[in-house]
Amino acid sequence: MDTILSTIQQLLSGLKFTLGIFILTLLFSIPLGLLIARGRMAKNRLVSTLVRVYISIMRGTPLMLQLLLVYFAPYYVFKINLRDLAVGSLDYRFVATIIGFTLNYAAYFAEIFRGGIQSMPQGQYEAAQVLGFSKSQTYFRIILPQVVKRVLPSVTNEVITLVKDTSLAQVLSVTEMFTAAKNLASSQVSVMPFIAAGVFYYVMNGVIEILMNRAEKKMNYYS
Amino acid sequence: MNVLEMKGIHKSFGDLKVLKGIDLSVAKGEVVAVIGPSGGGKSTLLRCATTLETIDKGSIEIGGMSLCSTVGEKAEYCGKKELAEIRGKFGLVFQNFNLFPHFSVRRNITEALIHVHGKSREEADQVCDDLLLKMGMPDKADAYPCNLSGGQQQRVSIARALATNPEIIFFDEPTSALDPELTAGVLRVIRELAEENMTMVIVTHEMSFARDVADTIVFMDGGVIVEEGPAAAVINNPSNERTKAFLAGY
Repeated sequence: MDTILSTIQQLLSGLKFTLGIFILTLLFSIPLGLLIARGRMAKNRLVSTLVRVYISIMRGTPLMLQLLLVYFAPYYVFKINLRDLAVGSLDYRFVATIIGFTLNYAAYFAEIFRGGIQSMPQGQYEAAQVLGFSKSQTYFRIILPQVVKRVLPSVTNEVITLVKDTSLAQVLSVTEMFTAAKNLASSQVSVMPFIAAGVFYYVMNGVIEILMNRAEKKMNYYS
Repeated sequence: MNVLEMKGIHKSFGDLKVLKGIDLSVAKGEVVAVIGPSGGGKSTLLRCATTLETIDKGSIEIGGMSLCSTVGEKAEYCGKKELAEIRGKFGLVFQNFNLFPHFSVRRNITEALIHVHGKSREEADQVCDDLLLKMGMPDKADAYPCNLSGGQQQRVSIARALATNPEIIFFDEPTSALDPELTAGVLRVIRELAEENMTMVIVTHEMSFARDVADTIVFMDGGVIVEEGPAAAVINNPSNERTKAFLAGY
């Protein structure tokens, strides 16, 4: 009984980091993704090419490798020691994790948003233009709300993947839930911690599915 | 004074010359119907007048303001501020409505009034209610475009174009996307606007409607105005061979 309780306790303390990575990554990568999507569609060829290369690299290399680079590059390449740097009570390992995840997920989100924005009929822009809406009014009042509806199913996909990807933070020794489960499994010589961790991940994604379904239904008032 | 004054309009898409020197004046209260075969430049002319396309050469004045003029070889457009003001002087009704699907009928009509023209919500709501009554759909303010028939959607888009009290309204084939039985309601609304002396330019394929409603008919083909004159005269008694051939099809 005690083992079960302490297992759950330790998994929960890992869950704090898992949730932290999850929430902070979404918080930063969605706005950044919108920005990158705009850059990708920029008329300026230099900007759009640079952004295209960025997206290509982010999607074409392992997230694990990107995390390691974000963590080690400042010191190995630029001789800047960030490892002792702490943001509040969080050390650079966690900060690097968030930076790495954000840069990676923003690239995926950007492509989803670009697809959504480009699927908008030209007539919506024209109607807004003729009515006198400014560019930013058109974007925020007319285009973006409709894009949200269009991209929601794809965004749900990414969000669910992100929950599971948080386990990659183990390469920077952030003791998120997966690392906690691994440590417990080896100390207890048992697969139970893995199964318990699996249940946690599954429940989290179940909640996300329900919430996103609700959001989709809420936007079904128009077609 | 003319509400719309277009002079020597030239417009090309790449190598394709779509407008080859068009002159069009519309007086206050005048209803002009633009007819002609597809690809003749009617819609492009309308899109140039409504700032959706920029012209290569020529000049456009709307409501006494200069949208663009040509001194040398290329048309020069007015500044941003003037452009915004000019956009408040006209309304455009699209062939396929282009309503905002995520807005209710009310918001479709009031959004620009409130956020572009700085009207209060109460004022805007009043304008909306009056217009919907006029469109014969006073109970549809809270409906969404997807729940309306095509004819109702087009009437909402007419209301949206009228909301800012423009000096002139452009219609780009307002009934072409509608089933035949739905066109009547839209045509009736446009007819009523004509009776109220609304200045209008209507691109249309409805010949009998054009003859009834328009003061002037402009027949366009191959990027030029082939024939222009009083509605009944042009439709019943065209003088140009191309106009005759086109009208024979109706």
